[in-house]
Parts: sequence; C-alpha cells; structure tokens
Amino acid sequence: MRRRRTLYFSLHGQSGDIVLSHLVTPDESDRSSPVLETRGITKVFARNIANKDISIQLRRGEIVAILGENGAGKTTLMNILFGLYRPSGGEIFLDGRSVVFDSPRDAIRNGLGMVHQHFMLVPTLTVTQNIILGAEPVRFGHIRYREAREKVAELAGRYHFGVDPDARVEDLSVGLQQRVEILKALYRNARILILDEPTGVLTGIEVDELFTVLKRLASQGTSIIVITHKLEEVKRLSDRVYILRRGVMAGERRTSDVQAHELASLMVGREVVLRGRRAGSEASPSPILAAHELEVRSSRGFMALRGCSFAVGPGEILGLAGVEGNGQKELADAVVGLASIEKGTLVFKGQDISRWGVKKRIMAGMGTVPQDRRGAGLVLPFSIEENLLIGASDLPPFNRRGFLDFSAVRRNGEKLMESFDIRAPGAAASASTLSGGNQQKVILAREFSRAPSFLLVCQPTRGLDVGATEYIYGRLRDLRDAGAAVLLISMELEEIFDLSDRIAVLHEGRVVFEKPASQTTQAEVGEYMIRGLAETRG
Amino acid sequence: MKKPVLQAGLLTAALLMALPGVVLYLASYFWGAWLLLGALCMLTAERLLTRGPAEVGVQARALLAKAAMPVEGICLALLIGAAIMAVTGHDPISSYGALFYGGLVKNWDVSVLNATPLIFTALAVAVAFHGGLFNIGAEGQYYVGVIVATWLGLMLRLPPILSLPLIFLAGALAGALANVIPAWLKVRTGAHEVVTTMMFAYAVATLSPIFIRAHGGDPSMTDHPGATDTILQQSQLPVFKSVLPLANYRLHFGILIAIVLALLVRFLLSRTNLGFKIRATGFNPTAARMQGISVAGITMASLLISGAIAALSGVTQVVGLDHRMYQNLSAGYGWNGISVALLARNNPVAIIFASLLWGTLDAGGQYMARTVQTPNAIIEIIKGVILFLMLAEYLWTWLSARLRRQRVAA
Repeated sequence: MRRRRTLYFSLHGQSGDIVLSHLVTPDESDRSSPVLETRGITKVFARNIANKDISIQLRRGEIVAILGENGAGKTTLMNILFGLYRPSGGEIFLDGRSVVFDSPRDAIRNGLGMVHQHFMLVPTLTVTQNIILGAEPVRFGHIRYREAREKVAELAGRYHFGVDPDARVEDLSVGLQQRVEILKALYRNARILILDEPTGVLTGIEVDELFTVLKRLASQGTSIIVITHKLEEVKRLSDRVYILRRGVMAGERRTSDVQAHELASLMVGREVVLRGRRAGSEASPSPILAAHELEVRSSRGFMALRGCSFAVGPGEILGLAGVEGNGQKELADAVVGLASIEKGTLVFKGQDISRWGVKKRIMAGMGTVPQDRRGAGLVLPFSIEENLLIGASDLPPFNRRGFLDFSAVRRNGEKLMESFDIRAPGAAASASTLSGGNQQKVILAREFSRAPSFLLVCQPTRGLDVGATEYIYGRLRDLRDAGAAVLLISMELEEIFDLSDRIAVLHEGRVVFEKPASQTTQAEVGEYMIRGLAETRG
Repeated sequence: MKKPVLQAGLLTAALLMALPGVVLYLASYFWGAWLLLGALCMLTAERLLTRGPAEVGVQARALLAKAAMPVEGICLALLIGAAIMAVTGHDPISSYGALFYGGLVKNWDVSVLNATPLIFTALAVAVAFHGGLFNIGAEGQYYVGVIVATWLGLMLRLPPILSLPLIFLAGALAGALANVIPAWLKVRTGAHEVVTTMMFAYAVATLSPIFIRAHGGDPSMTDHPGATDTILQQSQLPVFKSVLPLANYRLHFGILIAIVLALLVRFLLSRTNLGFKIRATGFNPTAARMQGISVAGITMASLLISGAIAALSGVTQVVGLDHRMYQNLSAGYGWNGISVALLARNNPVAIIFASLLWGTLDAGGQYMARTVQTPNAIIEIIKGVILFLMLAEYLWTWLSARLRRQRVAA
C-alpha cells in the first residue's frame, strides 16, 4: 500500500496539469485510442439479462453520457466497470489491455473513480479527513495529515473546486459535498471518473457549477462517464452519448449532431410527448381549495409560511414554483393536515378545514402524492396490494366489521395494476422491489382510486425516467380534465412549465407571483423565485 | 366456487387428527405424533388436489427456505457447544444424549411447562415489535398478571366456569392498564417505551412483597414466608391428568391456551384492519400518518394489547402451575420472551416452536447436569450463540453472497 502512495506523490511532484498513474500508456499524444473500452459486455442475473452485448469506448479527455430509462441497465454496466459485478460475458480493456476487476479496490488501483448518487461521506469529519479516509498517507504509524491537507488543497486549487480542505462536510452544501466526492477520486489518482446520476440532488445553479468543473477536468485529460436519464444534461455536458434500452445498446450519437426528441425516442423506443396545457387559464371564481394568509411554523420553530395565499379551481393545475426551503414542506404539511395552521384559513369546497385531521380531509376528497415517495408515500416492505389498501382499510369492500377481505384487496390490487400500468410480477410483490416509476404509479393509483376532487402533488417525477414521467404527466392531466383541482409543488422549473395551467411562485413563505402559464416565461418565473417580490419591484 | 366433497373431507379429517394429536403429544403420549403425521399427509393431499403439485412444491420450498436459517443457526450453536464441552473435559455425545433425552422424552412435561409462559411473553413482545415498539417491560406486566390472578384466586368464590374466565379477563385488563402510562407518555411526549416500561417493570417487582405480605400468613407455610396462600381450588386451571391419566400431574391446560392465543395473534396481525394498521404504522409511521391512520391511536393499541398478553403469561402461571405468588421467584419470563420473539422473528406461529425449543433446552439442561454432570451453563452459552447468530443475519447473507461469487469465479 505504501509503495503505491510514494509513487503517487513523486508523479504529482513533476507533472503540473495531468493526473497520472502507473498505467498511463507511454504514447500520451495518441488521443484517438480509447482509454477504456468494453467489448460485448453481457450480464445475466438469475432471471433477466441486465446487459446484452454492450460495447462502449471512452477516449482521453472525453465526456461520454450513458442515457437510459430506469432499469435500462446503466447502473449494472457501471457496477461491472467498477468491479462490483463480474460480467457473464465480454471483456473490459484499459489502455488496450484486457483487465478483470475483482473489487472496487482493483478498479480504483487502475485509475477508475466513481461518484455515487448517494454520497459516501462522514458528515462530522473535515474535507481532508473524508478524502484520505481509507487511503491515509501513513509513516511510522502516524497519519501525515499536513501533507494530505496540502495535497487536497493543491488538487482543489488546480481545478478551481472552491472547497476548503478544513471545512466540516456537514457544513457544506450538497453541491460542494459532491465535489468532495470527486476530489476523493482524484486524490486516488482517478483518470476515469464515473458519475451516477450526478444532478439528481443538485439545484439549478449547482448543476451549472458541476458542469463547469467536469468540463475543466476533461480539458485537462480526465475521461468522464456520466450516467443519466435527463436529456437536457446530455446535450449540455457530453461529447458523445450511448443510449441503453432494456439492457441493449439502442444507439450511439455525437451530442452535437442529435436532437433531444431523437434521444428521447431512442431511449423509450417510441415518440414522446411531454408538453400540453390548456390555453389562457384564469383564476377560477369558485376555487376547490383556497388558502388565505396562511401562517405555519416549521419544525425548527421559525415561521415558514408568512401569509401565503392561493386558490386552485376545478379543472386546473396550479404549479407552485420556488427554491427549496421557501416554505414548500410546511405548505404541503398544512394542506395534508400534518402541520397546525397558526393563522389564516384553508377552505376546501367552501368549508373551513383548517382544524380538520388528515383522515377527515382524505374522506372529503383530498389526495396527496408526497415528495418522498419511499419515506412518506409507501410502506416498502408491504406488497403492492397492501400499499393500495393503506388508508382505505376502514372502508367497504375491504373492511367487514374489522376483518379484512383479502380477495377484495387482491381484486383491487390487480385492477389498479392493470389500469395504471404497474409492472411487477403480481399484486403480492413487495413495493421495495419496484422501480421508482412503478412505485410512483402505485401511489398515484391509490390516490386516484378514491376519486379526489383535489390532489396535492409534490415533485412527482423526481428521479424518474422519461417514460414514467410522460405517463404520470398524462394521468395528472386526465385528472384535471375530469374536473379535479391539482396543486403541483416542484423545485424543477421545467416540470412546472410542462404541466401547469397557472404558475405561482413561493418565496420566503409567500406567494409573490401568479400568472397563467401561457403568459409568462421561465426567465420571469426564475427571477421571482430568486429575488422575491419586493426586490423585483424595486 | 366448487369445493369437492373429497377435499372438504380431507381437511376435516386432518383437523380431527391434528387436534387430539397435539394434545396427546404435549401430554407425553408420544404416539400422538402419528396422528400429527397423518394430519400433515391429509393436508398435503388436499393442497395437491386444489392447488396442483407445482404450487405446492413452490410453497414447500419457500417454507424450507424460511426455516433453513434458524435450523442451521441452531445446529451451528450445538456444534460450538460441543466444542466447548470437549475443551472443558465433558463428553459431548453423552451430554447431548442426556440433554435431548431429558428435554424431549423423560422430562418433556417440564419442557412444555417452561414453554407456556414464554409463548405469552414472546407474543406480547412480537405484537409491540410489529407496531414498531419495543415492549421491554413484559416482565413488569407479567408481575401484574401474577398479582391480579393471585388476588382474585384467593377472593373469588365462584364456580370454575365463571371464575377462570373472569381471572383471565381481569389479568389482561390489568396488564393493558399497566401500559397505559408508558403508552400515553410515548404518544404525548415521545418518551421512549423502552425506558418507561422497564422502569414500570422494576417498580412492580419491587412493590410485590407488600402484596405477598398482605395475603400470606398461612401457619403451615413458615418455611416459605415469601409466598402467598394457595389460591382456591375453583380458580385453578385443569390439568391434562384429569383426562389423560398417564400425563404428569403438574401439566396444565395453559399450553393449549397459549397455542390458541398465538393463532389469534396471527389472525389479528394478518387478517384484521387493526393488525394491518399496526403493521403499516410499525414499518413506516410517516406513510401511515399521511394516509390518515392515527399513529398515536395505533401506538396506544399495540402497547395495550402487548401488555394484556404479557399479563396473561403471569395469570396462566399462577392459575396453572404455582397456585400462589412467590416473592423470590424471579422467573425472567419477560426478558426471555424478548429472546424468543427475536428467534421467531416475531412470527406468532414460530413463537410456539421457539418457546418449546427454549423450554426443552432448559429442562434438558437440568437433566443433563443431574445425570452426566455437564454444567448447565453450557446451555446458556448455546442459547446465547443461537440468538447471536439470529441477530447476525446480515453476516450470514454476506457470507453466502461471497461464497456464491467465488463459485461463479471458479
């Protein structure tokens, strides 16, 4: 272990701009020969083929995107590259030499670095401590902390990362934490970076910063693979893109020569339509749900909603945009009935429901698709049919004097699975085994089956692929067309504009802007999201 | 729906054979096992006819897979026990011979008596676990049941047909009441039930001598000042000997009540609305709350049910076996119930078998110590190892995954 590190330091001592490792080919100038290549990678799990004959090439300093729906086999491929899985067939070549990785440790040793979707950092340790964790420079049993710190500072400076080596990770923003993960890989001499859905947890500005950082890394010789299901990112970031569909390679394109809709069709296997809204929707004179000057405290004690007012009418989707942390959570809780409303009123179909409990609101016809579908929407160990039963177990036909009629539960499960296109082996399959899209469909099915006249929807497509997103948008529009009121809370402006008939902006606990979607632009809404009302006026 | 006569007949026959089979086997009439075997055959035949061989095969394999882990764990623990015996100079073969002969044959009645209160307390712990709660104070509710049963057993002058149900009902109510304060504190202030129920357990155990003093004083009991008077005859549970003359005179019907209760708990959890809500709340309180389930109400309900079941353990012990309350008898059934519930993974039916295993190890261990002088402490070690292996399940998963990988690589 120590020998390797000595090698590392000496290499960095002499090379200014390239991250080297002991495997770099002597012929540095040859940019066309691939650094990493897979030929005919196949991975068969017990029942299904996750990857079939996948061949990709990655050249030095290139950014390659791997695009695919959830379940297309992207993550399996990456796990094979990173030594977590052994391929059932095919070969991996590194600098033209065939290699077999037995473990992530092997992969790291050969210059691969992986940044997972969920960070592997210890919040209470500093940046430097996190980076050297597991690869500590040790001499005579002491960690050479100062040396490591300098190395980290040097790396961070070289790529303009803006990360303080002594900051505690828990004090950093999500975007910076992600950069610590990247630094961690670079510290271990990674010359090939693999990022798994890197933007899933980032805000808009953080995404821009990440892309700048990645492009800078690539321009200095690092090769990068980005796994994603977001078309827009592929266009903005990558040089080339491979599209996976159901485990097979659906195509390879130069990013500059391809249109987004072509990528989407390759990915899904058919034409995709996302947009579609009603023209000229105005505020309804008789709203289904109306909030008047709501004041709600956050769990940390400060007033998170400070006089929030809005109204959603029948047959309309009101999109509530806003930067995260401006009262969205408290508003959702207040509408569901989990947070107590300190001032103001919430009126549902003419009745003041401010003091009503959760169950009474559901029974009156209010539904919720929560933001955290795994944490708040589903009981993961439960089967699909049981998840569809939660909240309805007091009602006929399921409940017969306190006893549950499981044949009715099964019938309900199978019926909803079919009408909501939930793909699973059966209604008894555990919800934890489903993909994100199918999990969300289970939640939609449950809420829709009660025929709600109002539905609160929070970040409904976060982490979902294009196919599932399209489906969910379609169902929400159907619900609206059937005369229900839909309140959409989302941090993603794209989503707000794709789906809403009217758009409002939540800023510091107030609605500061409201217009029909057809009469505003992303730029205008974005301005209000960031600056709020007063500043924009002045 | 067509349910042919043949299948219905097979089911009835299976039931008719299983019921006496269980009773006979528990009463040390070992030929009852043939009846059980016959019932199993008929049940299999019925399943084969209605479901077809393929589905029966799948179900059987699933059942085996479920049972494989605990069985392997128990075997491994016995092997480790053998190694310890060998190292400390005891003959493992004769020791295990004595252990199993004593536990399963010679003193089978003691094993059954040991298992009875454990089934109750383990069920109590399991119900709370299903609701996401840890009723660590089952020991305290056990004492409450003992006190109520003794008091009523001394006071009630009613025919047995009234007296016994009344005592069971009152004991269960008192056990539920004992958990009202912890449950209320949990719901109102978030005070953790581990702390509150445990404190309550110690309080009851410490206060119980006062009760014993108040109801003792039998002049013939001067040797045992730490015990109450014997409860009245009509409040005592019937024994197997009253119907099966060869059964041990101490063996009472409590085990049958325990088994019925286990089946009831299983029914409660899997088939009723309340049980469904308990499980939903236990797995994910946030999701349950979002769907309008009153998490506070369900928390209350599961803790109260748990308390009631734990108290029934004490009631059964008094009306069935002890017939009085002892001061210094620290039975530890409450604490052991936690172990058994863990071993059975909170599955009510598995709890019956896990309790019998625990009871057998205890009874057999004593027999082993008496006959071949292998110290009883080894049994405690074996029990500990079994539990450890159950808890270290993830270790097992990891090992098997690793083995599979190596096999693929080879």
